[in-house]
Amino acid sequence: MTGRRRVVVTGSGVVSPLGDTPAALHRALAAGTSGRKPIELFATAGIGCHEAGEVRPFDPQSYVGDRNLRPLDRTSRLLVVAAQLALADSGWGGREARAGAGPQAAPAARPAVPATPAAPATLAVPAVPANPAVPAVPAATATLAASATPAVPAASAVPAADIGLVLGTTFCSVRTIAEFDRRGLRLGPTHASPLDFANSVINAAAGQAAIWHGLRGVNSTLAAGEASGLQAIAQAVELVRTGRADAVLAGGAEELCFESFFGYHRAGRLCGSRRPDGAAAAGPNAGAVGRAGVGSGGGAALAALAAIDERPVPFDARRNGFSLAEGAALLMLEEAAAAAARGAAVRAEVLGWGAAFAAAGGEAALAGALARAVELALADAATAPREIGCLSASASGSLEVDRAEALGVAAALGERAAALPVTAIKAMLGEGLGVSGAWQAVDLIETIRDGELPGIAGLERLAPGLPLGGASVATRRLAPAERRRALITAVGADGHCAAMVLGAPPEAP
Amino acid sequence: MNGARRIAVTGLGAVTPLGSGREEVWANLLGGRLGFAPVESFDTKAFSVHLGAEVRGFSPAPYVRRLDPRWLGRASQLAIAAARQALADAGIGELGGGNELEPELAGVAMGTTSGEPLEVERFDDRYLAGELDAVGDEFMTLYPCHMIAVHVARELGFAGVNTMIPTACAAGNYALAHAVDVLRAGRAELMLAGGADAFSRITYTGFARLGAIAPERCQPFDRHRKGMIPGEGAAVLVLEPLDAARRRGARIYAEVAGYGLSCDAHHMTAAHPEGEGAVRAMARALADAAVEPHEVSYISAHGTGTPTNDRLEAIAVERVFGAGTRVPISSVKSMLGHTMGAASAIEAAVCALAVATDQIPPTMGLEEPEGDLDYVPNAARRHRVEVAMNNAYAFGGNNASTIFRKCEA
Amino acid sequence: MDAPEVRNRIKKIIGSIAGIDPQRIGDEATLRGELSLDSLSLLEIGVDVDLAFQLNLPDESYKEIDSLPAMVELVMRRQAELAVAAGGAPEAVAADVGAAVERFG
Repeated sequence: MTGRRRVVVTGSGVVSPLGDTPAALHRALAAGTSGRKPIELFATAGIGCHEAGEVRPFDPQSYVGDRNLRPLDRTSRLLVVAAQLALADSGWGGREARAGAGPQAAPAARPAVPATPAAPATLAVPAVPANPAVPAVPAATATLAASATPAVPAASAVPAADIGLVLGTTFCSVRTIAEFDRRGLRLGPTHASPLDFANSVINAAAGQAAIWHGLRGVNSTLAAGEASGLQAIAQAVELVRTGRADAVLAGGAEELCFESFFGYHRAGRLCGSRRPDGAAAAGPNAGAVGRAGVGSGGGAALAALAAIDERPVPFDARRNGFSLAEGAALLMLEEAAAAAARGAAVRAEVLGWGAAFAAAGGEAALAGALARAVELALADAATAPREIGCLSASASGSLEVDRAEALGVAAALGERAAALPVTAIKAMLGEGLGVSGAWQAVDLIETIRDGELPGIAGLERLAPGLPLGGASVATRRLAPAERRRALITAVGADGHCAAMVLGAPPEAP
Repeated sequence: MNGARRIAVTGLGAVTPLGSGREEVWANLLGGRLGFAPVESFDTKAFSVHLGAEVRGFSPAPYVRRLDPRWLGRASQLAIAAARQALADAGIGELGGGNELEPELAGVAMGTTSGEPLEVERFDDRYLAGELDAVGDEFMTLYPCHMIAVHVARELGFAGVNTMIPTACAAGNYALAHAVDVLRAGRAELMLAGGADAFSRITYTGFARLGAIAPERCQPFDRHRKGMIPGEGAAVLVLEPLDAARRRGARIYAEVAGYGLSCDAHHMTAAHPEGEGAVRAMARALADAAVEPHEVSYISAHGTGTPTNDRLEAIAVERVFGAGTRVPISSVKSMLGHTMGAASAIEAAVCALAVATDQIPPTMGLEEPEGDLDYVPNAARRHRVEVAMNNAYAFGGNNASTIFRKCEA
Repeated sequence: MDAPEVRNRIKKIIGSIAGIDPQRIGDEATLRGELSLDSLSLLEIGVDVDLAFQLNLPDESYKEIDSLPAMVELVMRRQAELAVAAGGAPEAVAADVGAAVERFG
C-alpha cells in the first residue's frame, strides 16, 4: 500500500527456557534442544506431568541491577528483563539515557550478553515450597544510594521519545491472584498483601515494566490465548502505522505456576495427563476436538497414550497434549523512516497481519478461521502464497490445534503448502501461552538472518491427512528465496487465530 | 483523526447495579438512584466495610441461547446479556438472518479487570480445604479472561477480530478505542465493544486492604469523600461505520470522534501527583477528534470517590480545560459504584446517551463540593451536549479518554 | 522482646520489602526518604509488622510512621499494652511473637 508507514523491527529481548538472547535461543532450537526440565517452582506430586519449560536459573538482578524487585512478581520480572534486553538490543538504552538528549546511536552489532547467567555463589538454592511465598531477601548486597528508585521526573523533563508497550498474556499472574486470595482467607482481609493486590490485575506486568523503564507511550495489555503474543505485535504495528506511536515494544509474557499447570492438567491438555475416564474434557460449549483421546475407543486408546513419552510432539499422529513453558519476549517496532534517521539496525520488517476467530467449536471452524487470518495477512502484506518462504507454526502437540492449523494454512496457501518448510518451535520450547507468538517472531527473525529453520524435535509420523509435507524433524538451511518472506501463525484452542508476514530487512541503498 | 472513517454508536446494552437494559439504566441514572447495599454474595464479617454495588437477581436465561450457561463464568453471562441487548437496541438481528452482515466482519473487543475471579476463588477454597481432586476442567475452561470475549462471540456467531483488553479500571475505554481502530482500518464492519466484571471477594479484599472503600457513602468530588464502592456489571456498545449506519437507517446515538491513551509509568495504584497521564490522555483524545477544549459540553469523570483520584482528576481537568472552566463534569460511580472493567463502558454509553438526549446525569451525594468545577450536583440536567468526553484511569497507570460527538442521522 | 530485637525484626521486614540487606539499614532510617519506599510498600510494611508482632492495630496507626525509630516505638508501646491486657506473662507473648516473626520476618 503506497503512503502507509512501514514498520520495522530494530531489536528484541527474550527470556526463555532455552536462552536469553535471540541467537542463543535460535541455536538451541536449531539443535533440537528441549527446554523441558523437572519443575522446581512448585511440587508436582500426583500430577501426570512433572516437567515444563521453567526458566532456571532466573536472576533478574543480573540484568537490571540492584533496584528493588520486591514489588514485582515473577511475570513482571520476566517482562522487565525482556524489556531491558530489547531496549539495549535496539539501542534505546535505559530511562536515564532516554530522558536526556535522546536515544543512543544504535550499535552495529548486538551487544554481548551472557547466554545464561551463572547463579551467584552466595545465592542459596531455595527450598522447594509447595507454594512459594515471598521471595527470599536477595543475598546480593546494595548500598542505599544504588537501591534508591529515581525521583519522579518533573513534567518538563519528558523523554525524547515516548516508547510504548503492548503486551500479550493469558493470565499475567494467576498465581499472584490466587496467593492474594488465599492469604486473605487464612490471615483475614486486614492482613492481605497490598503489593500482591497491585499485581493481581491482568495489566500489572505491563504497568510494572512501564514504571521500571519509564515507558510513557501507549501502554496496553491484551489477552487472546495462545495468539496473545502475535496479536500484541499486530496491535503495535497498527499503532505505528496510524501514527499513534513511533516506537513500541510488543510481545508477550507468561509465568509457570502451580495454578495454571494444575488447571491444564485437570483439563487433560498437558501431554502425559490424559484423563483415564475418556470423558469429554471441557463441557458442551467448547466443541473441542479429541480432548478425550485420539479417535474413539476410550479406555484402551487412552492407556496406549499414557504409555507415550511425556513429550510434546507437534503435528505428530501420537501427540497427546502440550507442555507448558514460561518466559517473556518483546520486539522493538519502529516506524521505518524514524528508525533509519536514528541509525538503528533493522532486523526485519512486519509486512502484514491478519486475525480471525472461530465462532463455532471444532476443527473445521478453527481451520477456517486460521485460513481467513492467513489470507488477511497475505493481502495486508501484498504477498502471494508462492512468495512465502517458510512457516513458523504454533502447533504444540495439542489435539485441538495442530491439525486445524495445518488445514487452515493449506487452505490459504493452496499448492504452496505441501512443500513449504515448516517449523514448530513449541516442540522444543513448549507452550508459552501469551509469550508464544512473540517467541515465534524472535526466532523467525533469526531464521531470516541465518537461514536455519529449526526442525521439529520428536516428530516421527505426521498425523493422518496433515497437509504440511515440509514439517520435518530435521533442521534445514533455507535457500535465500526462502528467507525473504516468512509467515507466522498463532492458533488458540479457544478460537483465536492470527497470522503475520515478516520480511527480510529492506536492502540498504 | 483526519480522513479516517467515521464511526457511529448505534446500540447500547448494560447490566448494572441500577437495572438492566438501556432504558432502565438511563432512567435510574437521571433519577439519581443509588445502587449500594450491604454485600450479599459473600460474608463481609471480617471486613470493616460492608457496602457493594452488586447486580441483583440477574438470570442469564433470557440471553444465553446457544451456549450452556452452566459453562459460563458470571462476567461472561453479564457480557452476553449486555451484548444481546445492544444488538437488539441497534435493530440488528441474528447474523446471517436476512441482514447483509458477514460474520467474519463482525468482531468483539471487551475489557475487564479480573476476568472470572469466582473461578479462582473456587480453586482457592478447594486448595485450602485439601480438595484439589475436586478441581475439574472448569478451571481452565472458564477462568482465562479472554473467555469473556470468546463467549460473547460464540453466543452471537461473530467470527471477526476477537480481543480481550484487561486494562483494569480503564478497560472499557481501551476496548472502545481498539474497536474504533479495527473499524477505521476496515478489518471489521461491525464491532461490539464494552466491558464486564463480576463482584468478587478478591477485588473487595484488595480495595479494602488499600483502605479505598467508603464505609457509608460514595461521594465523588465531595470535600468529605471517603472512598469508592466496588461494584459489578457489563456494558456493550454497537459500533459501525457511520455511512453504513445511515444506509440502513439505524438510530445513531453519537459518533465516536476519537480517543487518547497514555501511561503514567509512575505508581501501580496511585496516579501521577500532577495528573500528568490524565492530561496527556485528554489532550491526545481532543487532538484525535479535532475538538477544542471549549467545544466539550460534558465530561463523564472517572470519579471513583477516593480522596486521591478525585483531587488529581480535578487538577488534570483544570490543566486541560483551564482553571475556572464551567464544563459540567459528573461521576455516575456516585450511583453505580465502581464496576471495574465495565465502568468506562457504562460511562461510554452514558456519554452516547447524553449526546443523543441532551441530558446529563448528576453526581449524587454532593454536600460540599471540593473546588470550583461544576459537578452537576445531585440532580440531572438538561444541557445541549455537542461533544462528550469519557475519562478512565486504571491501576498500572493505564489512562484512556474517548470522545463522542453529536451526529445527524 | 527488647528494643534491639524488635528493631532487628523490623529491619528484616523492611529489608525484604525494600530489597535491601537488613544489616545495611541504619537505625535512624527514614522510609519514604532514605529507603525511597512508595505508599504501597509502606502499606505492606505496616501489614507485615502488624502480623509479625500480632499487634492488631488499625491502619491509622501506621499511616504516620515514616522512620524505623517510630516503628520500633509503636511496636514496643503496643506490646506493653498487650502484655498488660494479657495479664502479664511476657515470656508467653514473646514466644508467640517470635513464631509469627519467623514466618514473615
